[in-house]
Amino acid sequence: MLTRINIGPVHPSTHGVLRLVVDLDGDTIVNVEPHVGFLHRGVEKLAENRMYMQIPVYMEKMDYVAPMSVNEAYVATVEEALGVEVKERAKYIRVILLELQRIASHLLWLGTMCNDIGQMFTAFMWTFRDRDMALRLLEEATGQRMFYVNMRLGGLVRDLPPDFAEQAATFLDYMERRLHEYESLLEKNPLFIERTKNVGTLSRSDAKALGVTGPVLRASGILYDIRKNKPYYAYEKLNFQAKMLGRGDNFSRYRVRMLEMYESIRLVREGLERLPEGDALGMPVRLIIPNAKNRIAAVSREMPRGEALMYMVADPQRPYRLAMRTPAFINLAALNFLAKGQRLADLFAILGSLDLVMADVDR
Amino acid sequence: MKTERQMLLKRLEELKGGGSDYLVKITAVDYIKYVEVVYILRDMEKNDDTLLEVDLDPSDLWVESAVHIYPAADWYEREMAEMFGIAIRGRKAGRLLLEKWDGKGYPLRKSFAWNAPYERID
Repeated sequence: MLTRINIGPVHPSTHGVLRLVVDLDGDTIVNVEPHVGFLHRGVEKLAENRMYMQIPVYMEKMDYVAPMSVNEAYVATVEEALGVEVKERAKYIRVILLELQRIASHLLWLGTMCNDIGQMFTAFMWTFRDRDMALRLLEEATGQRMFYVNMRLGGLVRDLPPDFAEQAATFLDYMERRLHEYESLLEKNPLFIERTKNVGTLSRSDAKALGVTGPVLRASGILYDIRKNKPYYAYEKLNFQAKMLGRGDNFSRYRVRMLEMYESIRLVREGLERLPEGDALGMPVRLIIPNAKNRIAAVSREMPRGEALMYMVADPQRPYRLAMRTPAFINLAALNFLAKGQRLADLFAILGSLDLVMADVDR
Repeated sequence: MKTERQMLLKRLEELKGGGSDYLVKITAVDYIKYVEVVYILRDMEKNDDTLLEVDLDPSDLWVESAVHIYPAADWYEREMAEMFGIAIRGRKAGRLLLEKWDGKGYPLRKSFAWNAPYERID
């Protein structure tokens, strides 16, 4: 006989407001039905009624763990629709800031996931302390800790401060040491191993069919990273690797993100080293573009959670339609598949490994 | 790439057979005179995206479900049905995806009134 239990919508491990209706046979999960939409704000509709550069403020609230990445994806879509060229220096600065944002986002994910899988509060405290240093660096560059709104068409609101390179170098050296410490904290820990290895396995073909994206896709053995496959900004000139692992379980997903953090450190270092001189400031905010009617732009960006695609139909003043494919949405859609046949206690380990932000799912 | 509604599933199957086996997004745009449904597909080996568009008459809004071709279509179709009122044929009628909307209309249609008085329906 099946037991049906309800989890959420308000639950400490759902990372937002997510309701799960779980059918159980004993302790084994038979079916999970995620109920989403508690945070649905209708950002796509709101965007149809705002001028182009009023919208980034809304965009940043979509993924509040990596706000700059969403903001950048949106600004890049407008740039593509309106044919604006990004300045060379701004290309490098965007890469540097986006990679710092990726480190901050992955650190938050690591801490909360460790918390979810077995009350490993040490890891949570460590990652939050280190994430704060990344945020302080971003604050140094943009003036804000969380919602930066620092992108303008063709560039940025302001250039990096003069001593940014030194501060970043100190942080990156520290972070590299800390990543090794995380590895020694977690990868020999039987609690962590038990809850991650061979739990929530997703095969290569299933990953493709379910359309999962980002680290979840790459942990299942498909090497597809927008930064490599459709390079934008300075990514094609900088030296880094897209990371892939083959097992597709929680541990692979953890490992892919750890490796990505090392690569991000590499990218920021090299970006700062090769940062070209010149002007990085973008266009003023007020903007009406004639002849933009029904111009279509579709832009993909590799966010910390995976691929975000924005599909925009332009109008002279405001988007006629802005459709967003957000990474957490499609990764959550795969939850039922991942959790079937697993133990109830592992459900949150799997959920944690997907790195969800509910605001990003619901929009 | 435009296609007709009758040919949609056939075209999707052809594209999937041709290597575009990763579904990126299904969405729709309301152009008032017609509603366009957009399928964004990807060929990961060739690193190539395909946009497949179907125009629908606003008085006759439906498309056939593509879930059996692309399992990833599930949530996108549900979201589209809810936001645009486009009926999805050939799949079992499920719960709405995002929210229980007890007002009238479909939020992402251009006819959706912003400041209309809030009406409850039973």
